[in-house]
Amino acid sequence: MPPRAGGRAPDAADTEASLVARAQARDVGAFERLSGAYADRLFMLLLRLLGDRGEAEDVAQEVMLRAWQGIARFRGQSSYFTWLYRIAVNEANRALAKRARRPASVTIGADELQLPESAAQDPSRQAENSELRRSLGQALAELPPALRTAIVLRDVEGLSTQEAAEIAGIGQAAFKSRLHQARLRVRAAIGDETLTAIGG
Amino acid sequence: MGMPGSTDDHQWSQQHLSHYVEGDLRPRARRRLDRHARDCADCGRGIRAMHALVYAVQGLDGLAGVRAPAAIFDRVRLAGPAGPPSSQHA
Repeated sequence: MPPRAGGRAPDAADTEASLVARAQARDVGAFERLSGAYADRLFMLLLRLLGDRGEAEDVAQEVMLRAWQGIARFRGQSSYFTWLYRIAVNEANRALAKRARRPASVTIGADELQLPESAAQDPSRQAENSELRRSLGQALAELPPALRTAIVLRDVEGLSTQEAAEIAGIGQAAFKSRLHQARLRVRAAIGDETLTAIGG
Repeated sequence: MGMPGSTDDHQWSQQHLSHYVEGDLRPRARRRLDRHARDCADCGRGIRAMHALVYAVQGLDGLAGVRAPAAIFDRVRLAGPAGPPSSQHA
C-alpha cells in the first residue's frame, strides 16, 4: 500500500532519481511515493488557481494520471516538482477554458486564504485581516488566468522567477510582465488606503 | 496631493511600482523613481502599498491544514502499469 498523498519528500533510501527510474519502469507504488511528496502542495496550487474544491479534486486526479502517462518522457531537465507543477498549471488552464463562459464566477473561499497565525492572533487585527483576505481572494479570482497563475506561483507559492516562468511555460521577461500586471490590478482592486493600513 | 515632476514621470512611476519592489529596475530607472517618489505623496504611498500587497499575498500561503484528497491516485491505479501513453511532454 503506497503512503498517503502528503507533503513528505522521499527519504535518502528512496531518492527522487531512483523513484523516477522505478516509475518509468511502470512501478505504480514508486510513482505514488514520488508524486505523493508534492500532492498537498499541488492540491493547494489547484485550489488557488481554480477556486473550487470539487473541481480542484477532479483536476488533481487528472494531473496525476497525465504525469503517470507521461513519466517515460520526463528527462530530468527540470526538477520533478517543476515538471509536475507545469502539468498542473496546464490542466488548471484547460479546466478554466472549459468554463470560460462564466469567468467572473470564480471564487476563492476564505478557508483557502489564510493569513499567518502571527497576524491573526492580534484580535484588533482580525477584522482587518478578514476583510483583506476576502478582498485579496476576490481580486485574485477576478484576474485573467494567466495573470492569476503568475502571482500565485511567484508571490503565494514563493517560487523563484526562473522556476515560476518554467512552470508557466513562458520566458522570464514575459513572466515578470504578467506578474507586474497582476500586482497592479490587485493593488487597484484593493486600494492603497487598505493596503497601507495593514502595513507590510 | 503632490505630483511634482512631469506627468510622464508620475505615470511611469505608477506603472513600475511592482518592478521597483521586485528589484527589477536598472539603477538609472530606480533613481528616477526614487527621485520622483521623494516628493510625490501618491507614489510614496504606492511603494508602501505595493510592499504591503506582496507581503499580504505571501501570507496567503498559510494552508497548513489543507491536504490532497485521498482519491488523488485513483485514476492512476485504474490505469495500472500499462496505462496508455500520453502526449504530455517533459
